[in-house]
Amino acid sequence: MDEHQSGDLVKELVLRLVPADSGGALRFAHRLLSSRLAPAVLPDEHALAESVKRRLAASGRPDDALAFADLHSKLSARSRPASLWPLLYLLDSLSPHRRGAAACLPDLPTAAPPRHAPRAPGTPAGGAALVSKDPDNIREIALREYTELVLDETEVSEATLVRDVLYACQGIDGRYVRYDKASDTYDLPAGVRVPGSTRTLVRKLCEVGWLFRKVRGFVSDNVSRLPSHAATEVGTVAQAFCSALQEELSDYYKLLAVLESYSLHPIPTPGSDSGVSGNYLSLRRLVVWLAEPAVKMRLMAVLVDGCRGLRGGGMAGAIHGHAQHGDPMVQDFMGRLLRRVCSPLFEMVRSWVLEGELEDVFGEFFIVGQPVKAESLWREGYLIQSDMLPSFISPVLAQRILRTGKSINFLRVCCDDNGWAEAATEAAAYVGTTTSRGGLGYGQIDALEALVVEAAKRIDQRLMDVIHKRYRFKDHCLAIKRYLLLGQGDFVQYLMDVVGPELSEPANRISSFHLAGLLETAIRASDAQYDDRDILDRIRVKMMDHGDGDRGWDVFSLEYDARVPLDTVFTASVMKMYLKIFNFLWKLKRVDHSLTGVWKTMKPNCIVSSPFYKEGTSIRAQFVSVLRKCQVLFNEMNHFVTNFQYYIMFEVLEVSWARFSEEMDAAKDLDDLLMGHDKYLTSIVEKSLLGERSLGILRNLFALFDIILQFRSHADRWFERIYELQLRGKSKLKTKSKETGSWLEGGRKAMIQLAGELFRKMGEDLDSIAKDYTASLDSFISQLPLQQHVDLKFLLFRLDFTEYYSRVSSNK
Amino acid sequence: MPREIITIQVGQCGNQIGMEFWKQLCLEHGIGKDGLLEDFATQGGDRKDVFFYQADDQHYIPRALLMDLEPRVINGIQNSEYKNLFNHENIYLSEHGGGAGNNWASGYHQGEQVVDDIMDMVDREADGSDSLEGFVLCHSIAGGTGSGMGSYVLETLNDRYSKKLVQTYSVFPNQMETSDVVVQPYNSLLTLKRLTLNADCVVVLDNTALNRIAVERLHLANPTFAQTNSLVSTVMSASTTTLRYPGYMNNDLAGLLASLIPTPRCHFLMTGYTPLTVERQVNMIRKTTVLDVMRRLLQTKNIMVSSYARTKEASQAKYISILNIIQGEVDPTQVHESLQRIRERKLVNFVEWGPASIQVALSRKSPYVQTTHRVSGLMLANHTSIRHLFSKCLGQYEKLRKKQAFLDNYRKFPMFADNDLSEFDESREIIEGLVDEYKACESPDYIKWGMEDIGDANVAAALESKLVV
Repeated sequence: MDEHQSGDLVKELVLRLVPADSGGALRFAHRLLSSRLAPAVLPDEHALAESVKRRLAASGRPDDALAFADLHSKLSARSRPASLWPLLYLLDSLSPHRRGAAACLPDLPTAAPPRHAPRAPGTPAGGAALVSKDPDNIREIALREYTELVLDETEVSEATLVRDVLYACQGIDGRYVRYDKASDTYDLPAGVRVPGSTRTLVRKLCEVGWLFRKVRGFVSDNVSRLPSHAATEVGTVAQAFCSALQEELSDYYKLLAVLESYSLHPIPTPGSDSGVSGNYLSLRRLVVWLAEPAVKMRLMAVLVDGCRGLRGGGMAGAIHGHAQHGDPMVQDFMGRLLRRVCSPLFEMVRSWVLEGELEDVFGEFFIVGQPVKAESLWREGYLIQSDMLPSFISPVLAQRILRTGKSINFLRVCCDDNGWAEAATEAAAYVGTTTSRGGLGYGQIDALEALVVEAAKRIDQRLMDVIHKRYRFKDHCLAIKRYLLLGQGDFVQYLMDVVGPELSEPANRISSFHLAGLLETAIRASDAQYDDRDILDRIRVKMMDHGDGDRGWDVFSLEYDARVPLDTVFTASVMKMYLKIFNFLWKLKRVDHSLTGVWKTMKPNCIVSSPFYKEGTSIRAQFVSVLRKCQVLFNEMNHFVTNFQYYIMFEVLEVSWARFSEEMDAAKDLDDLLMGHDKYLTSIVEKSLLGERSLGILRNLFALFDIILQFRSHADRWFERIYELQLRGKSKLKTKSKETGSWLEGGRKAMIQLAGELFRKMGEDLDSIAKDYTASLDSFISQLPLQQHVDLKFLLFRLDFTEYYSRVSSNK
Repeated sequence: MPREIITIQVGQCGNQIGMEFWKQLCLEHGIGKDGLLEDFATQGGDRKDVFFYQADDQHYIPRALLMDLEPRVINGIQNSEYKNLFNHENIYLSEHGGGAGNNWASGYHQGEQVVDDIMDMVDREADGSDSLEGFVLCHSIAGGTGSGMGSYVLETLNDRYSKKLVQTYSVFPNQMETSDVVVQPYNSLLTLKRLTLNADCVVVLDNTALNRIAVERLHLANPTFAQTNSLVSTVMSASTTTLRYPGYMNNDLAGLLASLIPTPRCHFLMTGYTPLTVERQVNMIRKTTVLDVMRRLLQTKNIMVSSYARTKEASQAKYISILNIIQGEVDPTQVHESLQRIRERKLVNFVEWGPASIQVALSRKSPYVQTTHRVSGLMLANHTSIRHLFSKCLGQYEKLRKKQAFLDNYRKFPMFADNDLSEFDESREIIEGLVDEYKACESPDYIKWGMEDIGDANVAAALESKLVV
């Protein structure tokens, strides 16, 4: 396109648009066209076409959009791409939706240029300046008309509304804006005529008032209760919370005061802008002013709602829950609040951990003390109240806090020890926090944890030292192992020797004083005499409750008096377990003792040289037969009892003890120690088949024991009789050499006959005992693998070391 | 009531090994040579009163009776640094001091002559104890005094203290060398009869094996008596540790023996010990774990009885019982593992006629005796192969008896007067019975052994009783 052509075209366009123009419009057009102002659009034809299409489609003319797309694609296929964009842009600019803008175009050349030209040529026309300088005051008039119109619609002036809103924000009813109980809102009464938008605005603003009312209500509720009612209902945490709230509210009050002063300035009516202070307050301005306080107020209200009914640590925890917020403003605000709220809590923790004091008048701390006896101080004296445990203190930390204070109290009350104070001071010094009050606050959980950890470490160390060194915990454990778990073999043996005859009496005829004397004898006679007197004095005879027909064996047991503070470990229930174990081991020992007794009555040099070996074949064979039966049965029983004892010794007592011993040395606090001991005891109980789940097999075991004891009493009688007959035979033999007489031969035959009868009876009894025993043992062995909860492999392995029983059972 | 044990040492050999035993006990309990407790011996836990009693002046005095028919050994003791250890009233020396001339019959006869003196001593010691558990006799079976007088003491004890245990530590002669005691087979046989009938338990100490161990294991070219005796004392003291250091189990001799000796006649025990050392021997240090110790204890070369004759029959030999006494710092859990390993490897053969197992007793070690090894072990075992030892004794006796050699010396004494040699025959019969019973134990049918004729016997008994009526 050359210059001429375009010039003509422009001219023609101008003429067409402004036919009356003489040339001014043309010049203006030329100037515009020749200006270097580029449209602030990228010459992107495609995007433009797309936007046109979209616009058309959006304005409900999809057909046109399609047509446009079609035309555009045809056109772009034929022409040079570069030439199409300006055209498209022009057309788009001139399109109907820009008619408004285009409509004023004719104005420009007619009105604007001449007026502007003298004032500031080249300056683009500014709309606002243009309006204010409107000489005809058209706009002003229009605005005035508008104001009047507004006033017409409004019964209440905005200033009044502003004041009312400010009142409402202080929780006071204004002239119009009142609190409506029914809807629980501040609102303009329906009768008041105001524009809808204003009403909405007022409502929105009054939310702050509603929130404020709630917060203030909470504060005054708590504070007002203080002097009159028992303070226990409020608590220090709630007090701290209220005071923090009040502080926040006082900021709010300050703001309101300022706003109130602003509200005195008249609100300029639109148009009358002269001489008006900028600090006037309109509803809209109020929205801006109150935006931030509203957020805070909302937070406070939420907290107030969340804390209702909560106390102490629970309250702090609830507030903490809300503090987990991404908005730094909220975080900051909550942090401030929490520091105040938590300070009493942290103070409690500090004094608990360092001084062992529960400074908790209002029951707000997550640790509560209970009045208990010294022996249960550790286990039951102090508890964690989970609803008072703020969520920012982890349960682990809480446990540690609990234990530390508990340790102090335990040391103080049970151990009569003051060394802990030093440990506590040391801990505090180490951490660097002063032991004075208020050293810690919210947000310093790490510092708190460090303090607790240090204090716990030192105080628990102190406690362990006291328990181990002063109260010789291990020595007492060993003593219990020696005496109650029968580790001191010689002592147990003598005790059984001296107490045995007594215990065969009916239980109600036995004097425990007498038994105590016998116990002392056993101690004197055994190596126990070299033991510490303090330990020996704690061993007592205990007779359990007995019923009719109980023998002394059933009720006799030993007891160990652990005394404070060790009775914390050896509590009544623990001692009961020991008692149970003692009774079991005692019974086992008794069975073992009886079997040794049997062996002694038929020991080699009593049997081998028996004159029955020299008697006739028949009686000799009978003798050999019953003897063999007896020995084989004895061997089997002895094998069982011995190996069961080995099992108890190696696999139960020693192994458990070794493990406990390790744990004892590793224990860092009393809880570890208690746990170790519990484990030790449970392991013994379970492995000794004394647990709940082993009742069946235990019954079987006791049946075996009973058969063995029965065997013992039979064997005693048999051998007594045998020796008696032997003696008779012997004396006959002696006399025979001196006097010879047939009556003697007859007497001798009678003796042989008696012996024959005895052996026959003995054989029968032996068979029946052996049968019972085998049945019981089979059942016991078959039950062993079924005891899933304890590892009895070793017992089975020992009992069946030579696979004798597996062979026997496979032969069946 | 410490379940006291009175030790009776008879004859030259008995007094020698007895003396070594007491030396060892004194060391282990921290008792000085004069019987006073050493200053360092304050750590309790041991029981001295089983083997010692305390005199009024705090001296520890062994519950020991020393007897001999010739003065050499006892004089030696009385002139040694231990002269004040023993109660002088407990020493019996024959007045003429002529000994028994290696003649069992002489020893037996002399014992009979002085029975009142001897039994006075025994009674006095027995009365001095609260609850006497029994007697331990130390002697040899080959000579004259230990075997003959020892036999008489055995019979008397059995008669008078029938309820008390009688255990012997009996030294069997070295059968590899030609002995200077030509009548050794006679003496052995006659003593063996008493050991079979009148003792509850015989710990067999075989000089043949002791020598072999000294040569092979300790690398001593010519082991002296003192050296082999120290082996014996080690075994003796180790076998009594569970009595002297009380624990959960095996605190009394009867309990210990009850498990080892299920059948009355088979009461001859073998011993094994590891690691073996003798005085002043430069010791090689080895690793001693429970398994090592238990495994070594089962090895033939460590066993102090040479009865493991390498005959075909030996492969049939079986253990009736085993007790391992492990001393030292032992983790109890190791015991189970060791037992398992031993069973897996089938290192032991037990009798099949009843249940059996390796018993393990853990015992403390004396804190006053320093050793280079952490753990040591003693095995007490009832093993059927011991019958080969008796068979050998029988064989040697038969040879001698066939020749009617040296019998005159015996005929001089009342028991064999008038050429009454029935004592020999009876003894032979009893030892044969013993050998047979051990052999029978190797069979699973032991329970029925010796009763083959029982059916007939019952009929016979019935008949007999009818006849009486």
